[in-house]
Amino acid sequence: MIAEETLIKQLKEEESRSKAFEVLVNTYKERLYWHIRRIVLNHDDTDDVLQNTFIKVFKNIEGFKGESKLYSWMYRIATNESLTFLKQKSKKSGISNEVLQDVLVENLRSDVYFEGDEIQLKLQKALATLPAKQKLVFNMKYFQEMKYEEISEILETSIGGLKASYHLAVKKIETYLRED
Amino acid sequence: MKENQKNKFKTPEGYFERFNERLMDRIAKDSDHRIIPESDGFAVPEGYFEGLPPKIASRLKNNGAKVVQLNRHKRFFYAAAAVAAIIALALAVNIDRSTEIEFNDLASSDITDYFENTDFNLTTNEIAELLPIEDIALSDITEVPLEEENILEYLDENIEDIDELNLDYNELE
Repeated sequence: MIAEETLIKQLKEEESRSKAFEVLVNTYKERLYWHIRRIVLNHDDTDDVLQNTFIKVFKNIEGFKGESKLYSWMYRIATNESLTFLKQKSKKSGISNEVLQDVLVENLRSDVYFEGDEIQLKLQKALATLPAKQKLVFNMKYFQEMKYEEISEILETSIGGLKASYHLAVKKIETYLRED
Repeated sequence: MKENQKNKFKTPEGYFERFNERLMDRIAKDSDHRIIPESDGFAVPEGYFEGLPPKIASRLKNNGAKVVQLNRHKRFFYAAAAVAAIIALALAVNIDRSTEIEFNDLASSDITDYFENTDFNLTTNEIAELLPIEDIALSDITEVPLEEENILEYLDENIEDIDELNLDYNELE
């Protein structure tokens, strides 16, 4: 696997940019896909947001100063793009973000790319009740199995704060899943 | 092997010494995973990840503009056709019983949508000529100030990039 510094250097040089970008897309496409999918839930929307994310990365790589790791910068862009997408979607539909979350979960029932059973659907309902930050932290820790250090760099939150958010999220989800 | 003096059952060496440790490990492991499912049930279309890099490359060639896939909603066509057929049948059955729809029955949002999405092949001037001018006074436009709330709402809905407004930030200070 190519070193991050080398990749950034190649991305900033015009003659190597195209090839380096291909490497970047192939390296991060699946990880970023699942990160976005767990925020916007629907595959087609995820596809849109993922493409927008990579295009933003490509267009802004010149300005990337290397103050954070490349992957955490990309995750931050993906997170912002996903949340902005949901905000625009709720505005266009004339509904609040909370109602939109419920609609998105209900749509999973007829989604051909959702193969979950009733428990997994209930999990999504539970996640929809969480504040955005807790939901993000839970998905990143539980499903993406990221380390607190990595999440901390992406969400720019202290590790202590993240642990508290994760703990609270787990408790709320467990309580929700235990309810009839 | 330790031997129980009364019933002769045996336990593996060190079983009780490591029992607490194993129990605590099990409790810690179970506390996260007991109720919450291990996977969330999401799936992706076959070959999606392989087809993604060319799609992004194609968009970059178009300066980031979205490439609309014509067959994107193809899988919904049959379901949509079925629903449309059912609605058409229901309307056909009820048509004799329903009263005629009048202009006042239309929701204003439907009227707005109709005007926004229908191509009338008329210029703005031609549409303006159709308006009953007697009912409109020039002062309706010139003297009625726009509410700040309406201006903000318009900008919020129609301006995607704040930079498009070319605001002079010095004036805002």
